[in-house]
Amino acid sequence: MGSKEICRNELRIAVRQLSDRCLYSASKWAAEQLVGIELDPVKFTPSNTRFQRGSSSIRRRFRTNEIMSTPIAGVSYVSTPVMEEDDIVDGDFYLLAKSYFDCREYRRAAHVLRDQSGKKAVFLQCYALYLAGENRKDEENIELEGPLGKSDAVNKELVSLERELSMLRKNGSIDPFGLYLYGLVLKEKGSEHLARNLLVESVNSYPWNWSAWSELQSLCTTIDILHSLPLNNHWMKDFFLAGAYQELRMHNESLAKYEYLQGTFSFSNYIQAQIAKAQYSLREFEQVEVIFEELLRNDPYRVEDMDMYSNVLYAKECFSALSYLAHRVFMTDKYRPESCCIIGNYYSLKGQHEKSVMYFRRALKLNKNCLSAWTLMGHEYVEMKNTPAAVDAYRRAVDINPCDYRAWYGLGQAYEMMGMPFYALHYFRKSVFLQPSDSRLWIAMAQCYETEQLHMLEESIKCYRRAANCNDREAIALHKLAKLHCELGRLEEAAFYYKKDLERMEAEERDGPNMVEALLFLATHGKDQKRFEEAEVYCTRLLDYTGPEKETAKSLLRGMRMAQSGFPSMSAEHFPP
Amino acid sequence: MAGILKVPGAFDVTPHKVSLCILLQVYASPNQLFVPFPFSSFAQHNRLGLFLLALTKSCDDILEPKLHELINQSREIGSSSIDWLADHLISRLSSLSSPDDLFNLFTEMRGVLAGQDAGIVEDDQIILDPNSNLGIFLRRCILAFNLLSFEGVCHLLTNIASYCKEVLSSRAPHEAHLDGSGVNLMEASEYENMDLENLVFEKVTEEIEAKKKAGERIPFHLHVPTPIFGLVEDIELSAKPTFKQSTKGKEAISYAMTLDGSSGAVDHGFFLRSNWQIQGYLLEQTDAIEKHGSSFPLNALEFMLGQLQKLAPELHRVHFLRYLNSLYHDDYASALENLHKYFDYSAGIEGFDGIPPSSGFNNSGRYEIALLCSGMLHFHFGHPKQAVEALTEAVRVSQQHSNDTCLAYTLAAICNLLSEIGISNASGLLGSSYSPVANMGTSLSIHQQLFVLLKESLKRAESLKLKRLVASNHLAMAKFHLMHVQRPVLSFGPKASMKLITSPINVCKELRLSSNLISDFDIESSMMITDGSLSTTWLKNLHRQRGSSVIFEETEPGNRSNASSFFSQPNSIPGSVSQLVGASYLLRATAWEMYGSAPLARMNALVYATCFADCASSVDAAVAYGKLIQYLAAYKGYKAAFAALKTVEEKFISVSKSQIMVLKLQLLHERALHRGHSKLAQQICDELAVLSSPVTGVDMDLKAEASFRHARTLLAAKQFSEAAAVAHALFCMCYKFNLRVQDASTLLLLAEIHKKSGNAVLGIPYALASLSFCESFNLDLLKASATLTLAELWLSLGSIHAKRALTLIHSALPMILGHGGLELRARAHIAEAKCHLSDASFSVPETSGVVLDSLRQACDELQILEYHELAAEAFYLMAITFDKMGQLEEREQAASSFQKHIMALEKVTDEEDPLLK
Repeated sequence: MGSKEICRNELRIAVRQLSDRCLYSASKWAAEQLVGIELDPVKFTPSNTRFQRGSSSIRRRFRTNEIMSTPIAGVSYVSTPVMEEDDIVDGDFYLLAKSYFDCREYRRAAHVLRDQSGKKAVFLQCYALYLAGENRKDEENIELEGPLGKSDAVNKELVSLERELSMLRKNGSIDPFGLYLYGLVLKEKGSEHLARNLLVESVNSYPWNWSAWSELQSLCTTIDILHSLPLNNHWMKDFFLAGAYQELRMHNESLAKYEYLQGTFSFSNYIQAQIAKAQYSLREFEQVEVIFEELLRNDPYRVEDMDMYSNVLYAKECFSALSYLAHRVFMTDKYRPESCCIIGNYYSLKGQHEKSVMYFRRALKLNKNCLSAWTLMGHEYVEMKNTPAAVDAYRRAVDINPCDYRAWYGLGQAYEMMGMPFYALHYFRKSVFLQPSDSRLWIAMAQCYETEQLHMLEESIKCYRRAANCNDREAIALHKLAKLHCELGRLEEAAFYYKKDLERMEAEERDGPNMVEALLFLATHGKDQKRFEEAEVYCTRLLDYTGPEKETAKSLLRGMRMAQSGFPSMSAEHFPP
Repeated sequence: MAGILKVPGAFDVTPHKVSLCILLQVYASPNQLFVPFPFSSFAQHNRLGLFLLALTKSCDDILEPKLHELINQSREIGSSSIDWLADHLISRLSSLSSPDDLFNLFTEMRGVLAGQDAGIVEDDQIILDPNSNLGIFLRRCILAFNLLSFEGVCHLLTNIASYCKEVLSSRAPHEAHLDGSGVNLMEASEYENMDLENLVFEKVTEEIEAKKKAGERIPFHLHVPTPIFGLVEDIELSAKPTFKQSTKGKEAISYAMTLDGSSGAVDHGFFLRSNWQIQGYLLEQTDAIEKHGSSFPLNALEFMLGQLQKLAPELHRVHFLRYLNSLYHDDYASALENLHKYFDYSAGIEGFDGIPPSSGFNNSGRYEIALLCSGMLHFHFGHPKQAVEALTEAVRVSQQHSNDTCLAYTLAAICNLLSEIGISNASGLLGSSYSPVANMGTSLSIHQQLFVLLKESLKRAESLKLKRLVASNHLAMAKFHLMHVQRPVLSFGPKASMKLITSPINVCKELRLSSNLISDFDIESSMMITDGSLSTTWLKNLHRQRGSSVIFEETEPGNRSNASSFFSQPNSIPGSVSQLVGASYLLRATAWEMYGSAPLARMNALVYATCFADCASSVDAAVAYGKLIQYLAAYKGYKAAFAALKTVEEKFISVSKSQIMVLKLQLLHERALHRGHSKLAQQICDELAVLSSPVTGVDMDLKAEASFRHARTLLAAKQFSEAAAVAHALFCMCYKFNLRVQDASTLLLLAEIHKKSGNAVLGIPYALASLSFCESFNLDLLKASATLTLAELWLSLGSIHAKRALTLIHSALPMILGHGGLELRARAHIAEAKCHLSDASFSVPETSGVVLDSLRQACDELQILEYHELAAEAFYLMAITFDKMGQLEEREQAASSFQKHIMALEKVTDEEDPLLK
């Protein structure tokens, strides 16, 4: 596939250019994608495919869409530009500055480059200053914590950087990297619109800088903004769109994009992780687990996104796998929020909630805006019956990201626990608004309405109906619907839902008290409606069960036979078995 | 409250304090002689001292002045030394370039203080006593500096650098045109300064300036009077409180407004001084919002709160203020959001910060309050169903957490809800799920439920010693007794009397009980001062000034000085208490109005308007003023009423959809009816009807009123059958919604309609029914008016009934003359005259005096009212009497007056009413 070769060449050059400018995370990303492109097995020795072992048949099994055979995103119109090189003496300074930079001595690096005029040097100088300012800001945040939690530290370099960059831009002597930095500065200053324009400009002229894309992605808060961006066609745009869709909770669209990208980058860990993320949001835990297992096989020291894997393991109650994962990340890098979350999850699964809270707190200390840590800590507090603390934690999560339906749900749950179903409804409403396709949320809301304090059965029925419509995994909704209708005396509706529930249980080969209840109701109902054959079928099925229902079924059968054989209205009660 | 996390009142070293220290050093430099270097005289030196004193006192304020503001302020000390001072200050500040310089500076500061070796003090040496105000300030600064970590010192250094930078950059142009812009700058800074200390200071300096100007008239003697200046100044300073209170009200208002507007204030950032002050500020704002309602500026406060929140993310009360703000501005979504946010954050323990919640609340003791608030929110936005759900849940949760206080408040809220939302609406609302009070069966009527609830709530409040709640419950009870005609509660069996009664005695009793509150608070007032409000007394003073000047602007000028002296001493009674007591007066006024004693009603309204207006919410105040104006209209005629209305309208300009609007329409309608402009009357009537909410069962009073007026308009237009139909419909509606009082007046209206249509026989039963209603409901004035109507009806049946009519009139006359309005009195007079005239045994020459007397009075009264129809009738009768007496000249005069009124009635001028627009 020619396009693969093109991508590979572009990325190869881009990695060099990016790391030359000390844009390390972008170059890391590019390099990952570079290696992720499927190699032609004929041409390369096994050592080259080291990373690509286990091109898993398991994963193939789960792949739903066939990869489309269209060439990737049209023809990329930008070929990797050869960046001008500064002349040799300046180049020496640049080398020194870059070494300083690599040793995290940002101000020193900026100082070395103070009089340089080459684009590369200017960019590195500005970037170093920016990072120095960021470092200082973080330190000040800790130093300045005021009596009311005030921390108004700002990056002090922003003003001068903005001045310089805007001047450069006016001169026209700004390169795409400078534009990226300019966008970053503006975003930090809060002028998002301008920042967006600059970032678009940057990625249009140099699309391989993933950092620019991801900044742009964080600025796309609504679908309208996303669609209004004047982006040129390039295969990088697909990565961007996939990520943006995910942020906007359009999981299926995002999944489709990633699967399409996988056609080229079939061994990209990044894409795999992102697919896992999307699947996780769609609650396809099995697939997520498979993907992560493979990811870990290929990349055993990976910490990113591993907290999601731990969530899956938690949900599936895989103690040993979770502990193994926790141990592994602990050995790799214990001071990462992800690691702390994983350990917290492990303790939570073990039922040691205090310890787990401790680790979540550590995660939050490492990153105050770690959304999942807040939410998970809320869950822990709920487990510990410390509802006020749980409410607080959830609330903080919600304030960081008001679209986090889990935290809203948690809030509702906490209030429901406190016996305030009416108050809880507000939160459930919020969460349902954000994620209307999740049956659990609808069920929670329905249960609120159903509580004896509120007892608003009509509303409850409405919610259960919604839940039943969106793939209710635990199959609570149908049963509840049937029961509620029965309670309200609407027998036809009740029969309808019992039948549906029965069908479902048959399809899923489940058994249990619900089944008995459904059969019993249907049998009685059939008899009352004089649909004897139907009732007989249900009765016979009931006979397979033990317990009082069996006897009832027997007597029902007897009664029906008698009614059918002409004895007028002699009910079974007269002939006790 | 829960928002407070850490130790309040931390004393940090700030650039401003450093410059104060430098100035202090200048003031008390240890090695100087009698008069230290830059000063030419004692007075100047003293003035610097006073200046510093003022600054140190204000150093705990929320906002610190910037350097150029400080310099501008200090410019007032004296002309010769100030430039040197400013230069010295700036050069000292800008010379601080390393942490070591700071260390040295503060070590030097120690030298300023008299140490242990202070024994050897020369006479003329200036020392700072370590225990003086300035000395303590200096010591605190030194201590705070010594406590700083190295990072802290670095931050101080950078802060000082930015503090200086602005002045250094702006200094050159500033000096270039010192004369012109200096003043402007000072003015600008004046408005940025918000605290009282500085304010006082500036006033003092203004004064100094004025004195100086006075002094400059004799330029050659400038040297001599300066010490005297100093002396005078001292005196002025000590007398400053009275000074500021009495004359500078207007200015204080503008300062307060900048605080509200806050655009200038927040620009250069807050220095968060202490939590207490912020909390106190928030409390103030809360009061202000509740008092001013929707007239409070939404965005300004919102902006301010946004800033505050950015600075103090852990101060959760900001969310509550946001909630209140959006509540009063009818922003449902944001109010709901903020309410939930506030309680999510502040409820129980403060998350995991490990800080225990402040005392007084147990861990989970606040969620029921959240429910209570959300119930009130729904109530406010007109969702009674949700409100009831929330409140029921609040009852349940507070029972669970045995929070009796909250329970009592919740019950009171439910009572309020029940009595407000109207009866038909509520039935079915309290469905099966509803049983906050266990012993309350659903078989009871809403009335009875309400009564039982009120009792319950009152009992609870009493046992919990919640005085305010007790008082407000008493008020609610009084209102209940006033408004609701009741069967004896819980009477069973066929023998139970089914007589409907109202109980004015109960009303009176409850009202008395509720005002007992104020005496309680006199005793224990010291306990009621909340911590936060204490530290913002200065803010309170500002607010008070604003409040008082608004209220006393138009009333008698003599009041004003009284008021300000009253307010200048700290008021020991909390605002909420006086609000409650005020409400009891308002309710008293209403009660008297209903029972028919106009003077007493007027008196109570007057008491309210004068004594409680500054703590009343604008709505309540509007009601009181409305009552007074109605009184004016009924007793002094429309001219006076409209004049008063105009001033009141200006006062409540922002409260658009309020009583004032209704009142205006009522007055206009009344006048239009009297003048005979039935078209206009109908138009106004329609406008009135539009004001009420379209939802059934809401705003019933207003709806009944509009419909009543509609019927009257039709009656005036002589469309009797239509009028009767409307009145019938109204009666049915009132009956349905249990508005018994309105029933009585509707019956009377029906009688009136029949009377006018010449169908007296039909009218009499209505009049009698109305009479008996009035009797059982103790509506004395209405009863008198019903009696009058009855008499008129009898009279129109023929002259044989004149005697009976006359007795009826005479029985009602004391009440009418004592309490009735102009119209009623005039009607009574005319009816009386008519009785005399139509009485067969009546002989003109003997009793004409009586007849003429009452007719003359009627004429006078009706002319004030411009009630052309009745006036014409009176003049007509007068003319007839004169004719019978043979006094032709007077007869002609009366006849021409008659003609004039008839003409006015017929020539319905379409003059545009200026008041209508």
